[in-house]
Amino acid sequence: MAATGATGASAPGAGAGTEGVPYAVELRGITKRFPGVVANKDIELRVRRGEVHAIVGENGAGKSTLMKTLYGMHRPDEGQILLDGREVRFRSPADAIEAGIGMVHQHFMLADNFTVLENIVLGSEPTRGGRLDRAEARRRILEISDRYALGLAPDVLVEDLGVGDRQRVEIAKVLYRGATTLILDEPTAVLVPQEVDELFGNLGELKREGLTVIFISHKLDEVRKVADAITVIRRGTTVGEADPRTTTSRQLAELMVGSELPSPETRASTVRDRAVLEVRDLTVLSAIGRPVVDEVSLTIREGEVVGIAGVEGNGQAELVDALMGLRTPAGGTLLLGDDDVTGWTTRARRDAGIGFIPEDRHRQGMLLDATLWENRILGHQNRPPAVKGPFIDRRGARTDTERIMREYDVRAPGPDTLAVALSGGNQQKLIVGREMSAGPRLLVAAHPTRGVDVGAQAVIWELLKDARAEGMGILLISADLDELIGLSDTLQVMLRGRLVATLDPAQVTPDELGGYMTGARVGGAA
Amino acid sequence: MSLLRRFGPTVLVPVFAVLVAMVISALVMAALQVDPFEVFRVMFDLGDKPSQQMTAVVVVLNRAVPLFLAGLAVAVAFRMGLFNIGVEGQYRLATIVAAAVGAAVVLPGPLHLLLIVVVAVVVGALWAGIVAVLKITRGVSEVISSIMLNFIALGIASFLLTGPFRGSAPGASIISTSEIPESGWMPSLNGVFDLLGLANPPRQLYGFLIVAVVVGIALAVLLDRTRFGFDLKASGLSPSAASASGVNARAMVLKTMLLSGAVAGLIGLPDLLGDKHSYTTDFTAGLGFLGIAVALLGRNNPIGIAFAALLFSFLDRALVPLQIQGLPASVITIIQGTIVLAVVIANEVARRIARRTAERGGAAVAGAATPGDGSTGTGQTAGDADAQGTGAGVSRTAGAGQADDHKGAGA
Repeated sequence: MAATGATGASAPGAGAGTEGVPYAVELRGITKRFPGVVANKDIELRVRRGEVHAIVGENGAGKSTLMKTLYGMHRPDEGQILLDGREVRFRSPADAIEAGIGMVHQHFMLADNFTVLENIVLGSEPTRGGRLDRAEARRRILEISDRYALGLAPDVLVEDLGVGDRQRVEIAKVLYRGATTLILDEPTAVLVPQEVDELFGNLGELKREGLTVIFISHKLDEVRKVADAITVIRRGTTVGEADPRTTTSRQLAELMVGSELPSPETRASTVRDRAVLEVRDLTVLSAIGRPVVDEVSLTIREGEVVGIAGVEGNGQAELVDALMGLRTPAGGTLLLGDDDVTGWTTRARRDAGIGFIPEDRHRQGMLLDATLWENRILGHQNRPPAVKGPFIDRRGARTDTERIMREYDVRAPGPDTLAVALSGGNQQKLIVGREMSAGPRLLVAAHPTRGVDVGAQAVIWELLKDARAEGMGILLISADLDELIGLSDTLQVMLRGRLVATLDPAQVTPDELGGYMTGARVGGAA
Repeated sequence: MSLLRRFGPTVLVPVFAVLVAMVISALVMAALQVDPFEVFRVMFDLGDKPSQQMTAVVVVLNRAVPLFLAGLAVAVAFRMGLFNIGVEGQYRLATIVAAAVGAAVVLPGPLHLLLIVVVAVVVGALWAGIVAVLKITRGVSEVISSIMLNFIALGIASFLLTGPFRGSAPGASIISTSEIPESGWMPSLNGVFDLLGLANPPRQLYGFLIVAVVVGIALAVLLDRTRFGFDLKASGLSPSAASASGVNARAMVLKTMLLSGAVAGLIGLPDLLGDKHSYTTDFTAGLGFLGIAVALLGRNNPIGIAFAALLFSFLDRALVPLQIQGLPASVITIIQGTIVLAVVIANEVARRIARRTAERGGAAVAGAATPGDGSTGTGQTAGDADAQGTGAGVSRTAGAGQADDHKGAGA
C-alpha cells in the first residue's frame, strides 16, 4: 500500500486544468455491492472534457462493474455520478445515452447481414412516413464519418468488414446517438498493432472535436501512448491517478498489481535435438472444402517453444484442432516422437503425452457446472491419481486438486467448489496446473494467458518456462505479441492457413511481427 | 448440518415442489367442485385390516418397480443430454419379443428367466441403438427419431401380436401371446412378510423388485463412480469440453443409448414375469412417458428416482378407491401433472439461484488474497442447486486489498 502513494504521480484534486470548468464525468465515492461481495468501493474518478482517460486494472479489479454503473446498467449503492458538474441518476442505459454517454463493448454487437448504415441506425431510425429515411440516415452517417475521419462506407455489409472497420461502425453507432462521452471497453484486445494505431488516430479526432473518451485496458504500453490521464483500479477501488508522460509501464503495472512484476522473457535456450512433434504438410479443409490449414510443416523439439503468430482466424484454431485430434485433416502426417499419431483419437493422443490448454477455456477446458475435482479429472480420465482402473478415485482427485490449488495458486474455497465460481485467472491456473501435472511431452497452449490478470499471467509464464527447461516441447499460439516474442524460441507467422515466415524472436519487434501477420511484409527468415 | 447442507437442495426442492403441487391441485379440485379433503382422505386410506394395508403396500411397490426402471432408462440418457422419448416403444417391443421367446422355449427355471431378461434387454438396446445410429451418422435429433420410432414400435408390436406371435384362440376378446411356462415365472417375495411378522396379503409382491434394486445400485455406481460415468456426465455438461478431453462423442452417444434402451427393455418384465405371463393387447402402457416425469422428479439421480416412482405409484393406487367412492379418478392425473410442472419450475429456479450465487461468489475470489476455509465446499451433481455459493462468497468479502485473512475469518 505504501507504494501507492509514492507512484501515484499527480495529485487528483489539483487536476482541474481549466479552472472553474467542471469535469465531464466525475464519480464520487461510488460503492457497489453484490450479495456477499463488494465489487466497487469508494471509487473516485475525474475525467476532463476533451481528454482520453484510461482506466487500468487487472481482470476482476472492478473495471467492468464501474463502467456498468456509469452506463446505467445498475445503480450504485453509495456515491454520486456527476456529468458536467450536475448529479445524475441513471435507471437504465437509455438514461445514460440520453445524457450523452455511449459504450463500445468489447464484443461487437452488430448484425452481420445488415449494412453499415442499417447497423448504425438500428434502434434509433430516422423515419419519414413510418419508413426508414435512408437519405437522412446516410447524410448523418457521412457527416459523422467525415467529421471524425472514420472512413465509413454506409452500404457495405458488416460481414464483409474487418475487425478494425467493425469497431469504427460501433463507434459511429454511439456517436450517431449523440454521445459526448464514449466508454471503450478493451478496444484493442481484438486488433493487430496497425489497427491499434488507426484506432488511436480516430480517438485523436474525437478528442479534437471536444469529445471525452474513457478507455478501459490492461495493455499498459498502449494506454501510455494514447491516454491523457490514467486512473488505476485495484481490488475494486481506485488506488491513484498517474500521468502517462512521467510514468513507466512498469510503474503502472506495479500500481495495478501492488507488487514487483516478472517479464515474459525466457532465459538461455534449452532446445534439445530430439523432436517431440513433427508436422508434415498438414492440410485441413473447411466445411466448404477450402483449405483453412494449408500444407503446414513444423517441428517442435524438446525444450523448445514454437510460437505461432497470426491475426485470429488465419487457421490457428484449426491447426490446434487437428493436432488434438478434434478435426480430421485432409492430408499430412503428425509424428509424436516416433509414433505416427495422424489417425489417433484425442484420448490416445492425450494418453501419449500431449497436454492441451484450449483457447476457450469455458468451451473446451472446463465443466463450469462441475466441481474443481471433477475438472481435475477432465482430460485425464485414464490416469492416476484421479482414477483407479475403471473407477473414479474421488479421494485421490480431491487430494490432488488441493495440491494443484496450493502449487499453482488457484484461489478457491476448496476442491468441491463449482468451477463457475472461480475468476478467469484462477480457472486458467487450474487448467495449466492440471495439464502440467500429467507431465506431458508436448503442450499445445492456445492463448494461455488470455483474459487473465497480470498476476496470473506471470505465474503461467513462469510455469511454461520451467516446463520448457525440463524438456517439454510447447506450441504457443497467442495474440499477445510480447508474450510470443518473450517466450518463443522460434516464431512462425500464420497467414491464410499457411506458415509464411519463420522469425527469430530475439531480433523481431512487435511492429515488424504485426507487418508479417497482416501480410504487409513478406518472406524471410530473420 | 453439513449433510443437510449437502442434500438440502436435492431433497428440499422436490419436497417443496410436491407440496406446492398438492395445494394447486386442491384448488383445481375445489374449482371443479370435488372436495379435495375427501380425495386426500381416500388417497391415504389404505384399509382397516392389516392384510388390506399390506395389499395396498404391495400394489404400490409393484407399480413402483416398472416406474423406477422407466425413470432410470430416461435418466441415463438425460445425464448426457440425450432426451430418450422412445422408452415407450423400446419397452413395448422388448416385452412382446421376450414374451414370445419365453413362451417358445422350455428351460430350467433360472435359465428360462435369464433368457427372457436377456432377450428383453437386447431388443430394448437395439431399438434405442437405431436412434443413436441416426444421430451419429445423419445428425438426426434423438427427440424426433425416438418419437417416430415409438409409433413404429407400437405398430410392429401389434403386428406381431396379431400375427406371428399370436397365442390366443381366434375370436378371443383379448389377443395375447402364448403363456410362458411356469419355469419362466418370477417367484414372488411374499415370504418376506412372514419373515417380518407382517400380514401376508393375497397379492403377490413382484420378485423383480430385487432385480430393479440391483439395477438401480449398479447404475448409481456406474454413473457416479466410474470413468464411463464421468465421460457421460462430462458429455452432458459440455460436449465440446468432453471431446477436447478425449471423449469420443459419437461412441458415447451410441453407448449411452444402448444402455438406456437396455434398461428400458426391463420395464415390462415385472408385470410379464410376475403377473401376466403373456403379452396382451391390454398390457400396461404409458410407462415410458411416465418414466420421463419420474426421472425429472428424481433429478436423474437413482435414489431420487426411487422416491419419485414410489410417489407416482402411491398416487396411482388411489385410482380404484376413488372410483369406488364416486370421485373422479382423473384428479390423480391432475396431481401428477401439476407435480411434474412444479418440479421442473422449482429445479430451474434452484439452478439459476445456485449459478448466480456461485458466480457472485466468484466475483469476490478475484479480490481475495486468501482462500476461504475448505469446509464450506459442497459436492453436487450436475444441475443440483448449490446454496453454498452464498456462504463462500460471504467468507471472502475482501475489501480493497486489506488484511484479507481477518475478514475472511470473521465472515
